[in-house]
Amino acid sequence: MLNRLSRAVVASGVLATSILSLFVMPDPAHAIPAFARKYNVNCTTCHTAPPILNHYGQRFLENGYQLPGTEDGGITGKRKLGDLTLDDVTNYIGFRLVGNVVRNWSFKNQNPAGLDPGVIENKTEFTFPENFVLFAGGTVTKNVGFMIELGHDVEAGGAAVERGFVTFNNIGRHDLVHLRVGRFDPNTYSSYATVRQQLGDVGESVASTCAAFLPCSLNRVGLAPSAFATKFYGLYDRSGNYLSPFGASLYNSGAEVGVDIHGRPFGDWFLYQVGVVNGANEALGDSNKGKDVYGMVRLDFARSKNFAANVSGFAYIGNSNAKVLSMDDVNWNRYGVSARATYKMIDLYAAFAIDKINKTPASVAGLFDTTATGLTIGADAYVTDRAVLSVRYDNLDAGGMLDQRKSTTFIGVQAKYYVRTNIALFVRDDFNIRKSEDGDSAGRNLRNAFFSGVDIVF
Amino acid sequence: MSKRITVLAAVLIFLAGETSGVLAMKPEETRAAREKGKIIYERSCMLCHGEDGKGDGPAGWFIGRFSSPHPRDFTAENYKFRSTASGDLPTDQDLFRTVTQGIPGYMPSFSGLAEEERWAAIVYVKSLNPMFKEGQPTPMAIPEPPYPPSDASIENGRKLYFKYSCHSCHGDNGYGDGPESIKGNLKDARGLPISAGNLSDRSSLKNGATSRDIYRSLMTGLDGTPMPSFADSLNGKEKEAWDLVYYILSLSSERGFFRW
Repeated sequence: MLNRLSRAVVASGVLATSILSLFVMPDPAHAIPAFARKYNVNCTTCHTAPPILNHYGQRFLENGYQLPGTEDGGITGKRKLGDLTLDDVTNYIGFRLVGNVVRNWSFKNQNPAGLDPGVIENKTEFTFPENFVLFAGGTVTKNVGFMIELGHDVEAGGAAVERGFVTFNNIGRHDLVHLRVGRFDPNTYSSYATVRQQLGDVGESVASTCAAFLPCSLNRVGLAPSAFATKFYGLYDRSGNYLSPFGASLYNSGAEVGVDIHGRPFGDWFLYQVGVVNGANEALGDSNKGKDVYGMVRLDFARSKNFAANVSGFAYIGNSNAKVLSMDDVNWNRYGVSARATYKMIDLYAAFAIDKINKTPASVAGLFDTTATGLTIGADAYVTDRAVLSVRYDNLDAGGMLDQRKSTTFIGVQAKYYVRTNIALFVRDDFNIRKSEDGDSAGRNLRNAFFSGVDIVF
Repeated sequence: MSKRITVLAAVLIFLAGETSGVLAMKPEETRAAREKGKIIYERSCMLCHGEDGKGDGPAGWFIGRFSSPHPRDFTAENYKFRSTASGDLPTDQDLFRTVTQGIPGYMPSFSGLAEEERWAAIVYVKSLNPMFKEGQPTPMAIPEPPYPPSDASIENGRKLYFKYSCHSCHGDNGYGDGPESIKGNLKDARGLPISAGNLSDRSSLKNGATSRDIYRSLMTGLDGTPMPSFADSLNGKEKEAWDLVYYILSLSSERGFFRW
């Protein structure tokens, strides 16, 4: 828990953030990020509260950034290049700055032996919001859309194309087939989307001494939905880089290179998705000749009374998509279900995934648990026009190397206040509900984490 | 003889084409048209307006959350955007205009749907409310502006703005910050809090921002909101009505200032 000095720093940070934001944005107005600008609507036409999509926003996304039921590519889709104005250009471009201004860590054991010195300490620190994303997206003509997200990690440095793809929509007939090609997040359309969460991912800290295909220690665990996580200790990508047990992966990866299709051929109630991706945990390119395939079906219920509900099931079949300590390939698969129900101000969602390693190499037989599971349950409540309270439960029953793995269970709570619909301040606290006496691993050592930050899209 | 037949055939083909063209623009309200409209409605409208048109679709609550506006309940009265007298239903053209232009801030323009599809959706929407079967409502005459704005007309409009107490809701400068709005006294027909339009921002004018749009809003009012009809107050006072329109337009600084 926070000591007195930490509380004072945290409180002053939250206060400073609030005052700054109120000073810069003095009055309420409608948010106008790219798509809202293009269609001249408020953010809440498509979002429950940014970044979570409501039912309408999901259909807009499914239709390749075209209004549900339409295929014309939108207003600017009809313009000739020479007729475009700066206003038209801003209909394609948006920015997001999200991250913490203040954070506080509390550990059972500070500066444990073998880990990076100075990292595992009870401390409160000021930071600059970690993620800055420039995205360009929309439609170029009838039924052809695109999205490019250029992300910059302010803390770690460096920029990269996080996602970039082209969509070809309504192939055959309306809503029969939508095609996506490029680098995208596979889990875009299921009941619980990977990249849209109120409680953002907090990355783990990996010890700096990690070398290729050697055991690696975690300074600190990550705080992310367990259902989406890698779940295994002792997996490596094809270059020997250690795969964090807490990083989003497989069907729930933040981005993979490949091609997929989705559609609603039988009407509103049924959505299908199938795809094939490189699946070697690589940003771009493919060192793995085997391709991974996945499929998802989603059933939608409820069409009135401000109620929406859906359930999804998916399977991701890996093909030599990771390696173990001995550098042998493994087939890493995932099977899962997710669900979401929204009634007026209440938004409930959950996901459960079983990860299974097939073709376990003899070199790690008896040393490696080939099954792992992750459960994530969350809820958002829009308690006022501007305030959202969120809670998320994450339980990760880890697999992998028996001498490394450690299961974790965290609960995160967050209060988010929208100064405007595109500018939010938040305070968040994550706490470990497993006993620290169970061991000194990273999964037990982190006891509490507090964050306060901003989420701005414009 | 054959030349006459050819000419007659050409005339018949032309007329047939004209007839089908008219039908495509605004279909007869037949069962087939309703069924086609239902398909369009369920793709494009149902998500906000709900399966039965009650304004309670799966995404509908989030439009205004705890405030107005919420999506239109097609089965109820109090249609906001009309060219008809307060209390009347909208005309088909009113519905078509709203679907085509959208409502700034809250409902996108569905100009991406073909005209025929928009008309089909309107046929279906009308079938959700039995009151539409009672006959086509009569629109008010919305004349063209009789004279261009001048300093004198705008100044006179400013006086009328206060005379008719527009400032009590819209504020002295048209920012939507009048005392009634600030006190939270403004509610819509559902009892939800509603803010007065910011007249200095054209995008806040949900019923359109041309001079004729504003004239129409003044005369018809926005049923279901605190914005009343001024048709009785301005009856026979065309000059006052247009001066008020010009003053309201002068409060916003956007280009195309006096768009006819």
